[in-house]
Amino acid sequence: MWMSIQLNEYSAEPLYHQIEVQLRALIVSGQLSEGTMLPSIREMAQHLKCSVITIRRVYQDLEAEGLLVTRQGTGTFVAKVNPEERRRHRLDAVTTAMREAVAAGLRVQCSDDELRELFETVLHEARANRSPPGEEGYGECGKEDEG
Amino acid sequence: MNGQGGTAVRMTGVRLRQPHFQLGPIHLEVPAGFVTAIVGPNGSGKSTTFRLMLDLTKPDEGGIEVLGRTIGNGKSIELLKRVGYLPEEPYRHDNVIRGMDKAEFYKHWYPDWDVNHYRELLRLFEVDHSIRLGKMSKGMRRKFDLALTLSHHPDLLLLDEPSSGLDPLAWRTMIELLHRYMESGDRTILIASHVVEEVKRLADFIVFMVNGKVLGMYEKDELLTGWHQFYFPGGYEKWRAVLSEMPGLAGLEDAGGVVRAVTSSAREADAWIAARELVPAGRKSMELDDILAVLVEREKRQRQYGMKGVVQ
Repeated sequence: MWMSIQLNEYSAEPLYHQIEVQLRALIVSGQLSEGTMLPSIREMAQHLKCSVITIRRVYQDLEAEGLLVTRQGTGTFVAKVNPEERRRHRLDAVTTAMREAVAAGLRVQCSDDELRELFETVLHEARANRSPPGEEGYGECGKEDEG
Repeated sequence: MNGQGGTAVRMTGVRLRQPHFQLGPIHLEVPAGFVTAIVGPNGSGKSTTFRLMLDLTKPDEGGIEVLGRTIGNGKSIELLKRVGYLPEEPYRHDNVIRGMDKAEFYKHWYPDWDVNHYRELLRLFEVDHSIRLGKMSKGMRRKFDLALTLSHHPDLLLLDEPSSGLDPLAWRTMIELLHRYMESGDRTILIASHVVEEVKRLADFIVFMVNGKVLGMYEKDELLTGWHQFYFPGGYEKWRAVLSEMPGLAGLEDAGGVVRAVTSSAREADAWIAARELVPAGRKSMELDDILAVLVEREKRQRQYGMKGVVQ
């Protein structure tokens, strides 16, 4: 599932932030379930073609938020997210993404109406193209049974 | 000295004067537990730097520490057994011996020689070690030397242009193996490479080296997301004064009807541009070689005019 993380190399947005936002969303939405083992820092870095410094920062930040737990010598796992937290995190992630979208709009001098219209269009598109739930899994390459 | 947080190689004020080349003064700290890539044009002193670390060349000045031990006091031999070195060119003097003979020599020399690992690497690289080294193709020889270098489980790997001669498949195998080598977290790779994709895939830190000098060491992701170029429509004179204030400005040039401004702080530059309501005609992130080109240009100008600024 973490394989679905995609980075925009052409953005000035720091990579750790791009990864954090997406990984947090995967956890909070329940797409990465409690107890799922994440790849090692080096493996994740290799997969995303970024440095281990970036991945370590992501893991540390998400650990501090209580979304990941690292067990010495075994690995990093998805923590239990209680429903209250899930609700808060859920909206946190969306708010952050919205802020970014608005900032991108303001950078190119969009008017408020243009932004609202864009929002409606994008939402409409997304609703139209949305795949049924549960179809987007890549499987976890046998990692789910550990931990 | 091992594991993340320590320093695998430390060079302090190292200078070397040769008839046609001057190196240094070099100050460099290679962090343990990471992959650091040295990037620079030909003749910038990368291979010489490796040779200094291995005590194959003596510096005129300065100190070098490798894995916590001082180099050059006659006690380097034991230390060098923990280092794996792949030179840029294979040694010609062992062209007449077979691969397996050289492996036999390694077995005696390196206490941590691992014959199973060696065999696995030969299999992965599809190398026949019964061939004389001088008869191997360039790529085969490279793969063989890489296998040897990795088979004694060194704590520190010094790789000088490791992929030269490798085909794309062998290259992928090498990248995979080097990632695997790093997996334990307490090993260090220092790699000199011209191959942008290789540096991107492997490196955690990047050191730029030009004309025998270290221009700086950067965390790779910060570097690549930080450096962007913006294009502004109009002549150089029109933009020069305004853009000279741009955060992180590293280069400013007339690109034929548009002015190209390079910044090393893209996010700050974004905010700065937005606050002034400037409208760039375009922007692009930069590849490693683009960044290197700007740094080389700047270094050249500083050497010629002794000036710090990027705006003429």
